[in-house]
Amino acid sequence: MLIEFDKVTYLYPGTEKRIFSDLTIRMERPGFHALFGPSGVGKTSFARLLTGALNGYDGQIRLAKVGTPLYSYNLERLPDWSSVGKHLEKITPDAAIQRRDQLVEIFGVEACLGSRFSHLSLGQQNRINLIRYLVQDFRLLIMDESLGNVDELTRERILLHVKAMFPDVLFLYISHNVVEVAKFCDQILVFRGARKTPQTMMVTGQNHCLEGQLDPQGLQRTMLEIMNAS
Amino acid sequence: MLHRRIYQFLIIYLLGISVLLGVKYSLNLSDYVIPGPGSIWQTGAAVFDSYLHDVMNTLGVAVVGQVFSICLAFLVGIIGRQTTWFGSFIKVAAYNVQAYPIVALAPIIFILLGDGFFTRLLIAAMICYFPLLLSVLGVMSEPITDIEHFYRSTGRMRWQLEVKIRAFENLQKLTTVISGSATLAMAGTIVAEFIAANAGIGYSIRIALYQSDLSKILVALFLVGITLAVYQGLLEWLGVFVRRGWAAA
Repeated sequence: MLIEFDKVTYLYPGTEKRIFSDLTIRMERPGFHALFGPSGVGKTSFARLLTGALNGYDGQIRLAKVGTPLYSYNLERLPDWSSVGKHLEKITPDAAIQRRDQLVEIFGVEACLGSRFSHLSLGQQNRINLIRYLVQDFRLLIMDESLGNVDELTRERILLHVKAMFPDVLFLYISHNVVEVAKFCDQILVFRGARKTPQTMMVTGQNHCLEGQLDPQGLQRTMLEIMNAS
Repeated sequence: MLHRRIYQFLIIYLLGISVLLGVKYSLNLSDYVIPGPGSIWQTGAAVFDSYLHDVMNTLGVAVVGQVFSICLAFLVGIIGRQTTWFGSFIKVAAYNVQAYPIVALAPIIFILLGDGFFTRLLIAAMICYFPLLLSVLGVMSEPITDIEHFYRSTGRMRWQLEVKIRAFENLQKLTTVISGSATLAMAGTIVAEFIAANAGIGYSIRIALYQSDLSKILVALFLVGITLAVYQGLLEWLGVFVRRGWAAA
């Protein structure tokens, strides 16, 4: 499993604004990793370059053994012509039916299945949307604020269970919540903007899992490292 | 909805009649130029049955022409939504052709096809078709990114699903355009009849014009307007019914 950016330079089309300048990054192991940084530093552009949604860059992007990268974000909608339960049934492969039911329970959305997507709260919408991606066959999933508007306790439960359920998958979790990324993520790629050198820094997170004790001092230390890096 | 359409028409029609009568009495014009209310009423009573039959004849042609236009507009719109060269070609062709006044082609159609039913149908359909096509093309070419993203990235997107998503998300717009195109279909049919047909209310208006009989024209306009108001009201009601039905499926 490999994600490699080799001297990637990217400008928004039709502008002189440089998002990345000779960006070099290498991530090799599965796990729950984070892309962190203030708004506008290029986290989403990085994700979209990975999925091939953005082109026209200089340098090389290499992906190996990650299949087709999936990218989920928090503004996605489901069509409103049927209930979210019916939508989930329709897009779940046979092999993932059990996983879907498990996810519905963990995500706490059983009561939403009979409702239309537009009738749900933003937090419920984001959870339902993320389940759609998690029942697919994937090796790399980018979660761009995919748990936005979800309360902290539910988010924690979801992250811990997702990590336990998908140990061999590479997640890239985009979030602005420094505590969350420090606590749950393995590697944290901190984006600092194209003008700073280096443009990114890698910080090792606490990678807190379902079965394991969290070291509060270690968490504090990681948070400080992230803040110093950004 | 149906009532609102009828009220709106009646208000506009009465306002128009009032203006005409205002002009008549303020300029002291004779009944030959602008007939009085009594004369209009008498003419209405005399020609109502035959004119109603003519309006129904015209409406029949307009409805068939509109249905034909809707089908064709959706077919071409669905093909033209694609970002291929063929899709772009269809879009450019549609935008260019619609800029040409179709009514100007009507005499050629009459010369080639005569003044029967098919000619009226063809002109009605052509006048109604291009505005419909532009709307359908606009709706079908505009991606609903926040819904389509999942289906694209997971390889589930098919053209049927794409069309379904875009139609569902723009259902209000599509039903409004379809309902509005009824006016165009009716106008197209009347124009065709006015130019050279041998039936329909447009043909009757042409005869009344040659007789300089404004009363008959005003009666014909009343029947055309009220029929169109009812037809459009029914289409709007059908649009709401379809939207509710689809959303509650």
